[in-house]
Amino acid sequence: MKAVRGKYFFGGVHPHDKKALSSASPLEVMPEPEVAVISTSQSLGKPAVPVVETGREVKVGELIAKADGPISSDVFSSISGTVEDIRDGIGANGAPEKFIFIRNNGKTDKAYLPPLSSPSADEIKARIRDAGIVGLGGAGFPTAVKVSPRSPVDTLVLNGAECEPYLTCDHRLMLEKTDEIVRGARYIAAALGVTNIIIGIEANKPDCIAQFESYDDIKVVILKKKYPMGGEKQLVYVTTGRKIGLPPKLPADSGVVVENVATAYAVCEAVELGKPLYERVLTVSGGAVAAPKNIWVKVGTKLEDIVNYCGGESMPPKKVVQGGPMTGLALADLGAYTHKTTSGILLMTPEEAAAEEPTPCLNCGKCADVCPMHLMPMNTEFYSSAGDYEAAAKYGNTMACIECGACEYNCPAKRPLIQAIRKTKAEMRKIMMGGQKK
Amino acid sequence: MIDNTVVISTPPHVKSKRTTRGIMGDVCIALAPAAIAGIVFFGYMAFVIELVSVLGCVATEFVYYFIAKGGFAKKCKNAKLTCINWWKQFDLTSVVTGLILALILPVTVKWYEVLIGSIFAIAIVKMFFGGTGKNLVNPASAARVFMFISFSLTTYVAANFGPILEGETLTGATNLADYLLQNTHASALSSLDLFLGTGVNGSIGETCKLAILLGYIYLCARKVIKWWQPLLFLAVFGFTAVLLSGFYFESYRFDISLFLPHILSGGAMFAAVFMFTDYVTSPKGIYGQLVYYIGGALLLAVMRYFTKIEVVSFIILIMNILVPLIDKYCIRKPFGYVKEKKQKEGK
Repeated sequence: MKAVRGKYFFGGVHPHDKKALSSASPLEVMPEPEVAVISTSQSLGKPAVPVVETGREVKVGELIAKADGPISSDVFSSISGTVEDIRDGIGANGAPEKFIFIRNNGKTDKAYLPPLSSPSADEIKARIRDAGIVGLGGAGFPTAVKVSPRSPVDTLVLNGAECEPYLTCDHRLMLEKTDEIVRGARYIAAALGVTNIIIGIEANKPDCIAQFESYDDIKVVILKKKYPMGGEKQLVYVTTGRKIGLPPKLPADSGVVVENVATAYAVCEAVELGKPLYERVLTVSGGAVAAPKNIWVKVGTKLEDIVNYCGGESMPPKKVVQGGPMTGLALADLGAYTHKTTSGILLMTPEEAAAEEPTPCLNCGKCADVCPMHLMPMNTEFYSSAGDYEAAAKYGNTMACIECGACEYNCPAKRPLIQAIRKTKAEMRKIMMGGQKK
Repeated sequence: MIDNTVVISTPPHVKSKRTTRGIMGDVCIALAPAAIAGIVFFGYMAFVIELVSVLGCVATEFVYYFIAKGGFAKKCKNAKLTCINWWKQFDLTSVVTGLILALILPVTVKWYEVLIGSIFAIAIVKMFFGGTGKNLVNPASAARVFMFISFSLTTYVAANFGPILEGETLTGATNLADYLLQNTHASALSSLDLFLGTGVNGSIGETCKLAILLGYIYLCARKVIKWWQPLLFLAVFGFTAVLLSGFYFESYRFDISLFLPHILSGGAMFAAVFMFTDYVTSPKGIYGQLVYYIGGALLLAVMRYFTKIEVVSFIILIMNILVPLIDKYCIRKPFGYVKEKKQKEGK
C-alpha cells in the first residue's frame, strides 16, 4: 500500500546516525566458530534448563536447553559438534549465566522441525514456541507469549524503525529479505487472528519503504528520523495513534502487538523451513573497526572472532558496546559470546564515545524537553543522589521510564541520568517487595 | 589488543556536543550587542563598569575556589595545579553573571560599588549555595537589589524608564505614568526612540531594544532558550499593563497603542530575554514554565502600576524563590498516563 506519514510524538533527539559506515554492505554469512559457547539465558525471564550432557553429539538446530516456564525460551545448538562442558559463568552484563560449550565437528547435519504448509493459528503459535523465537529488537521477550495476548488484538505493528545510530542489520534484512519478512508477518497475523498489518520504517531508509509499498496487505508508515522512534510506545502511537498505558499495561491492552522485522523473518523460516532460532544478523560497526559489516552470526560466537572477521581493530577502541549506542551494554573486552538478542557490536573511537566527566547540573531542563515519556529525569538524579529514592520516583515518575537514553544524550552537563534512573528503579523494586511482605 | 583504557558506563554511549561552557559562551555572544550598544550610548564609563563587573565576578569565583574545600595551604602549595583544575571546571557562568549585572546597572554607578556588587553576586548568592546550578536566585538581579538598597538610591531611580529631562533626572518624576499622558508632557518619546534607545535614560544594556532583539534571535537560533518564553512574558505583561494603565486617564480608557511603550520601556525586555530564562532559577517542566512566565508578567505589570521605580529585579527574585514550589506541584504526567478512577466506597 502507498506509504503514509506517521504522527508526531513529543520529545526525542537527533543523534548523528553514522549508518553510512555499514548500510551499503550486503549481508554475509560468517563461518561457523570452532567452539560455540551458548548461554541458557537467551530471553527475558527464567534461563532454560540444559537437556544435553557432556560428550553428547548434537546437530545444527538441535534442542540443548528446554524453556523453564512460560516466560523463557528453548535454546538450540548453532553448530554440529560435541558438547564439551556445561558450566556456570558470568554473562556480559555481570549476571551469573550457564554456558554450554560445543566443539565443532565440521559436519552440516541439521535437526530441523518439520516444515508446515498452510498452518493453522494454533500450529503457528506452537511452532513459534518450539523454535525458541524471541524478540530480536534487543529486549528478547519470548514471541510465543506475545502471540497469545491477554487482551483482544486487532493490529500487528512491525518495527522497522531501527532508530539506533550505527545499526544497519534490520535495514539490510528488510532490503534483501523483504518477501520473507512479509510472509513472516502474515504468519504472526494469522496466529493473532488479525488482518491489519502496519510496518513503520524511518524516512532514512527510502529503499526499504519502496519495497514494502508493493505489498497490498501491508500498510507502510514513514517515520520521521528521530530517536527513539522504534520504542514500542512511541512506534504504536506514531503508527496507530493509540497510547499504551503505563506498566503493567502491555501493547496488547491497546489492541496492538509489536514485532521486530528480524523476528518476522525468524518466524517465516521457522514455519516454512522448520528452522529454530540459532543465528541472527548483526552489525559490526564503529570508527575502530577496519571493515564495518552486516553478518549472519551463530549464537554463541565469540565477539573477538566476529571483529577479526571484519578486519579487526583499526585502532584501540575507547568503548566496546554490545547492541546500539543509545541502549547497548558497554563491555570490558571482546571475550563475551553472542546471544539471540545481540543486534550489534560497536568499537567506538575516543571521538565517538562520549566519556567526559560530568559537570554540575544546570537545571536547564533539556532532559525533560526531549523525554519521549514526558518525565523529569533531573528530579530523579537530584533525589537519588541524595539517597531519597521514593522522592526520586515520585517527582521524576521514574517507574514509567523506558531507558531510551535521550535525556542523557541531550544533557549539556553530561550527567549520568540513566545510571540514576536504573538505581532508582532497582531501589524502588526492593521497597515495593518489602512492602508486600509486610 | 584492548588495553585498560576501555571505558565502561551505562548507556547512552554517544552524547551531544553541547556543553555547559558552550551554552554560556552562546549567552555571552548574545549579550555582546547590548554591551556594545551600552558603550555607544553611555560612553567609556559603560565599558569600565562592564569590565569591573566581569573581572570582579571571575576573580571572586577564582578566589573562592582557592579558599573553599580541600585546604587553603595545600592548594597554595600546588598553585599551578589548582589553577589548571580551576580552568578545567570554569564554565563561563561567572562571566555571564558579571555581564548581566553590568548591563542592568545605570552608568552613573561608581566602579567600587560595581565591584562590591559582583563579589556579593558570586560569593554570597552563588557560591555559598553550592556554586553553578545550585543558587536559589539569579545572582545578577540579587546583586542589583543589594546595590539598590545599599548605595545611592537616587542613582537607581534615575535609571528609570522615560525621557532624559534636564534637572529632572534625579527626582524620579520621569516615570512611565507621566510619559503615557503624552499630552501633558512636552518631550514625549516615540516608540521608535524607545526601541533604539536614543534619548532614553536607563541602565547600560536595557535601553537599546534592538541589541536585545539581536541577542534573542541568536539565543533562539542556537536553541539556548525556547523562543516562546520571552514572547509569552512580554505579551502577558504588555496586555496587563495596558489594561491597568487605563486607570491613568480621567475616565477608564483601553488604549492598545500603549502596548509597545510598555514592553519597550525599562528593563522588561532585557529581563524577559536574559534573566527570566536563566536555567538555574527557572522551572523545568513546561507547565511550571507557563506558571513562571505568566506569573512574573502579571506581577511586573501590577507592581509597575503602583511604583515609580524599575522593579524587574525584585520580580525576578520573587519568582525565583517560588520556583522550587512550582517545580514541586507542576509535574508532567507520563506519556500514556490514564487517570485512575476513584473506587466508589460503599458499593
